[in-house]
Amino acid sequence: MIVRLYSNRDLLQARRLLESQELCFEENYDVLFGIFESGELIATAARDRNIFKMLCIREDYQGGPYLGELLTELLNSGAYTECQSFFLFTKPEYRYSFQQYNFFPLVNHFKVCLMEYGNGLNKYLADHRELVKPGDNGAVIVNCNPFTLGHLYLIETAAAQVDHLYVFVVREDRSIFPFDIRYRLVCEGTAHLQNVSILDTSEYAISGVTFPGYFLKQDEDLQLLQMELDLVLFSKRIAPFFQIKKRFIGTEPYCRTTRIYSETMQRVLPAFGLETIQLQRKHIQQQVISAFRVREALKNEAYETLNNLVPETTLRFLRSDAAREIRNRLLSYQRRH
Amino acid sequence: MRIVRKAQAGTLQSSDLMVFLEPADDLRIEIESTVKKQFEHLIRRQIETILNKHRIVSGQIRISDRGALDYAIAARLETGISRACRQGEQ
Repeated sequence: MIVRLYSNRDLLQARRLLESQELCFEENYDVLFGIFESGELIATAARDRNIFKMLCIREDYQGGPYLGELLTELLNSGAYTECQSFFLFTKPEYRYSFQQYNFFPLVNHFKVCLMEYGNGLNKYLADHRELVKPGDNGAVIVNCNPFTLGHLYLIETAAAQVDHLYVFVVREDRSIFPFDIRYRLVCEGTAHLQNVSILDTSEYAISGVTFPGYFLKQDEDLQLLQMELDLVLFSKRIAPFFQIKKRFIGTEPYCRTTRIYSETMQRVLPAFGLETIQLQRKHIQQQVISAFRVREALKNEAYETLNNLVPETTLRFLRSDAAREIRNRLLSYQRRH
Repeated sequence: MRIVRKAQAGTLQSSDLMVFLEPADDLRIEIESTVKKQFEHLIRRQIETILNKHRIVSGQIRISDRGALDYAIAARLETGISRACRQGEQ
C-alpha cells in the first residue's frame, strides 16, 4: 500500500533504499511517498513543486504495478497546485520506461534525460506563435532585478544586429523584484524599440527545474550538467521555433556562476548552429552597471546614483509607493541576484 | 454543463487513463497515448461522445492514456466532469 512517509524510522528506511541503488536522499520535497510490502519499504517517490524525484523501486519489485502507483500518487498530490506540467530527471536507459507513462523527453543528454509530463513546452510555444517573425533573429535571457541602463544597452545593441530580438524575462520568482514587476519594467523600458518582443521563460530556461543530483556521483560537476541541459533545451526546442540564430550575453565581471554559464554557452550553442555574441557591459563612472549596484543604491536611498544607473521608467517605479515594500525588504537582502 | 474548476481523474496504470480538465473559452482536446498512432481517432470519438452527452462545449481536456478500453475512458471522463462542473448544474 502506498503511504506518505513522515516518521524518522520511515525516512531512515527510505534513505537506505535510495542509497542501495546509489541514489541519494534529498531533504527538499513537498511530499514523500513509500510502498511497504511485508513490513519493508520497497519503493519511494517524492515531489518537489513540479519536479518528481527520489523515484526508486527495490530491484526484486521492479517491472510490476509500482511505478504506475507512485506516479499516479505524485500526480494526484500535485493536482490542485498551480503546476501545469511535471518534470523528472532520469538516466538515459530508463527513459523508455517513463515514456510508457506518457512522459516525453525534453532533453536527451548522454548522462541524463529531462522528461516532461503534460504538453507544457508545446503549449508554451503555441501560445507565442503570433510573435514568431521570419528572419535572422536574436535572443537575450534576462532576469532584470530590476531593469537598468545596462540591460537597455544590451537590448538596444543586440536589436541593432538582428531582424527581431526576443527578450526572455526569467519567470522564476527568486529575486527581490517579483516577476510581474520585472516584466513590466522591461516592457516599459524597451517600448521605443520596434523590433523587440518581450516574453517570459516559463519553466523552460533558467528555471527551478533544477538538477537533482541524486543519481550522479558527488565528484561530477552537477552545476555544469544543469547548464548544459538548459542550453540544449534552448538550442534544440526554443531557438528553432522563434528562428533565433544569435544569443546575446553581457560580459560578467562579478558572478562566477553566470560566467561559467556564459562559457558553457559558447561551447554548447555552436553545435546547434547558434552563435553566442558577448557584448561589453556598459560603464558609468569606471564601474559596470549592474542590477546589484542599483539595489545597493536603492538600499542606501542614493537617488542621485540611481539616476545614472536606471532608465526613467524604472526610476519612476523605484520612487513610487508601490516599491516601498521592496525597499523595506532590500534592507535585509544579501544575495547577488 | 460547464467546466468551472480544475479537476482530474484516473490513474497511470496500464489499461487505464488520466483525464485533466480545466476551464477554457473554447473546446480543446489533447490526447497523449501509448497507442496514439493506432487509436487516437477512436479515443477522440469516445471523448466527444461523452462531452456531447453532458453538453460540454468549452474547456481544456487532456487525456493521458495507457491503452484504456472505451468504457474505462467513459468512466474516467464522467468522473472528471462531475468533479470539474458545478454541483447540481445540469
